[in-house]
Amino acid sequence: MSAVPVLETRGLGRRFGGLQAVSDVSFSVPAGQVLGVIGPNGAGKSTFINLVTGHTKPSEGRVLIDGKDLTGARPWVIAQAGVARTFQIVKPFRGMSVRENVAVGILYGSNGTNVMSKALKAAEEVLEEVGMAGLGDRPPGELSVADARRLEFAKALALRPRLLLLDEVMAGLRHTEIEPSLELIRKLKARGITIIVVEHVMKAILAVSDQVLVLHQGKVLTSGDPRDVLSDPRVIEAYLGHRYVKRREGES
Amino acid sequence: MSTLTKMPQQGLISTLRGDRAKRLGPWALGLVALLAALGLQGQLYSGQERTVATIFMFVALAQAWNLIGGFAGYASFGQVVFFGVGGYFTAVAMSHWHFSFWMSLLLSGFVAALFAVIIGIPLLRLKGHYFAIATLGVAEGMREVVTNLTDLTGGGAGITVPTVGNNATTAYLGNDGFYLLFLGLAVLSVIVGGLVARNKFGYALRAINQDEDAAAALGINTTRMKVLTFALSGFITGLVGASYAFQQVTIFPERLFDVDITVLMIIMVVIGGSGTVLGPLLGAVALQFLSEFLRQNFTNLHTFILGAIIIVAVVLLPQGAVNYMREARRTKEFSLLANVRKYRL
Amino acid sequence: MSGFLQATVYGLLQGGLLALVAVGFSLVWGVMNVVNLAHGGFVILGAYVGWEMHEWFGLDPFLGMFVSAAVLFVFGYVLQRFLINLVINGPIFITLLLTFGLDLMIVQGMNLVFSADYRSIKTSYASNSLAFGSVRVPLGRLLAFALAVAITVLLVAVVNRTRTGLSILATGMDRGAARLMGIRARHVYALTFGIAAGLAGMAGAMIGTVGTFNPSAAASFTLMSFVVAVLGGLGNMYGALVGGLVIGLVQAWGGQYLPGTWVNALAFLVLIVVLIFRPTGLVGRAFYAARQEV
Repeated sequence: MSAVPVLETRGLGRRFGGLQAVSDVSFSVPAGQVLGVIGPNGAGKSTFINLVTGHTKPSEGRVLIDGKDLTGARPWVIAQAGVARTFQIVKPFRGMSVRENVAVGILYGSNGTNVMSKALKAAEEVLEEVGMAGLGDRPPGELSVADARRLEFAKALALRPRLLLLDEVMAGLRHTEIEPSLELIRKLKARGITIIVVEHVMKAILAVSDQVLVLHQGKVLTSGDPRDVLSDPRVIEAYLGHRYVKRREGES
Repeated sequence: MSTLTKMPQQGLISTLRGDRAKRLGPWALGLVALLAALGLQGQLYSGQERTVATIFMFVALAQAWNLIGGFAGYASFGQVVFFGVGGYFTAVAMSHWHFSFWMSLLLSGFVAALFAVIIGIPLLRLKGHYFAIATLGVAEGMREVVTNLTDLTGGGAGITVPTVGNNATTAYLGNDGFYLLFLGLAVLSVIVGGLVARNKFGYALRAINQDEDAAAALGINTTRMKVLTFALSGFITGLVGASYAFQQVTIFPERLFDVDITVLMIIMVVIGGSGTVLGPLLGAVALQFLSEFLRQNFTNLHTFILGAIIIVAVVLLPQGAVNYMREARRTKEFSLLANVRKYRL
Repeated sequence: MSGFLQATVYGLLQGGLLALVAVGFSLVWGVMNVVNLAHGGFVILGAYVGWEMHEWFGLDPFLGMFVSAAVLFVFGYVLQRFLINLVINGPIFITLLLTFGLDLMIVQGMNLVFSADYRSIKTSYASNSLAFGSVRVPLGRLLAFALAVAITVLLVAVVNRTRTGLSILATGMDRGAARLMGIRARHVYALTFGIAAGLAGMAGAMIGTVGTFNPSAAASFTLMSFVVAVLGGLGNMYGALVGGLVIGLVQAWGGQYLPGTWVNALAFLVLIVVLIFRPTGLVGRAFYAARQEV
């Protein structure tokens, strides 16, 4: 494991008008790890991802990628530095086929190509990998919820990232649909990709994360080993509360 | 990584091969159209020749607008500013600085492109209507600037390009010459459109059009792409404006910065099919032809009928003829009412 | 100094009129996200209705303007209900082109019916002026200004206080939610557009009284509406008042001190500067922020 973490944030914060959406988030992710980020609605999870990927400029603090200060860099600079993300609300290019959607990522990624036919072929491989073989010619508007989320995943993978930020890629999926996504995350991890999973589906976090970070009202509540964190009474109180308990009951 | 099974791979290769035929087909058709246009020239009276030259002019203008408005999705409502800037640069360069037309033409393209970069950097951060209105403001403002720079531009009284005598730097091209010049510009614009449509660049523009955040997240430098596209679009429009200025000999700010020219470009693109290459081509030919027909047969009602046609076209074919045909072929849904259902309240 | 005062007074008076011209435009833009390129056409149409009322029935233009408002309201309601609603969910250049087509028809229609001659609605008193020291205030302009400001303020009150007004605002903020609350969006949109057209018609009748008009003046009123609406922050009706007064003053001062017709470029310069540096307008927060618009 290299000494320089793939991602490090120092005192990262963002204020929207009077609202402090994220404040003083400092942590680092070593290469090859999977970090789970959890927190109730409005805890600042998506803002956090936007801050790291340059979609929102931080009000304070720093973002270091591979030790390089990329605070406030534009999204494409971050993307080309090898950081890919998905969007919580899926953002397909509706006028293109599924294959072309993925090909755009391949064309403009850090080690992109200029040859369209090559990009389309590589896109087909990525689609295969996320379990969307045979859907390449469809318009994204015709995809199921699960496939629309997989397309987000595929577009991010098309960048051949070293760091992958997944913003609720499993939200709204059935249990049978979640398992392949978890399998994919494990496979990507085995390939050495560092992954940050922002998720509401608790089981998913437990199953794949090496470390968990809990955000609450924009601040880091706690972090560490997934099982320790999830049994931390403060976490249960602040976030999981009766909601988690209810869900456990519902599952069994 | 390669986990591809045999079947899809073969399928993919054959689609790629099919793509090659698809890729070359339109160029071949374009070549036929070009030869037809050249052959047509000998058959036309001089009045008809001028009319057809104007059609070519609008093909080039529509293709240029399509780059920024159709592919990138930034509705430039002040596009005529590049036409005006190009036209006035050429008129001023030829009459004050004694440049040849060809030199002025080329420089006009670059001046218009530079102007596009200068206004594009701040304005392309705006979206939707705001961009439309800001560009409109620039065009209207530039008209006033040109009107008031009387020493250079002659102001509202216009400026005349020297075409005869010792001051003429380039002999007037005449109907035949301008026919070929505008045909050349139309061909250039179609080639640029065709290259953009099928290239990496075009995919970036479409991505920006459809979701700018997602495009940026995939590593596309959206700012650079938009400014470059605006510059390219301005370059072509500037060339057309320069040619128009020379053709007209005397030009006035009212005409060279006429907002109607912008709107015509947009209507041609929208009716034909924005974001396609064929669409602006068909739209420009159809609308200019129709407009000329109306002008000759219903002189008084010409604008009125044109307005009605725009309304009907926009309601029934909001995605444009070419996109409608493509979509209809795929879904087997040919009803225009289904179209109306899509955008109505 | 008296030149400055005179220009200031004239600018404020003209600004009030511009506010009434633009307030409907801003309302339609804010509520429906439609930029109505036929707005200037409505203004001039209103002027012709006022003119006809005066010619045929000898109706005083300050009464005739209510007829203009009523006629234009019906016209606007029908247009929105049966035409613009058909494309309201389309991409922006669709609505822009549709209203441009309308503008062509309205302006050319007026050219055919009324000719391109300049006209003015003549009254016995409008050109009389009051003198305050060296500053002269034409009576017609003063009356038009007072009415324009009063009606703009009234509109704000109606929209913010009445059930109908609130349903307009609600529909503008979230059409889906408004529909769930039992608001009929088709009717509300038509009503909004009708109100905008009615106010434009009213402003037109006043403009016809204090100055001259012909069909081709429509375009400049559409452009002025843009400028005023953007300055004020779209959808923000008090903003239209502020925007109108600012533009009125800028133009009056520019006309006083700038050579040639440079003053015409001034409004656009202000427009572009505001768009770049403060796209939500000069006053508070607008309905939509420019850079977040979809």
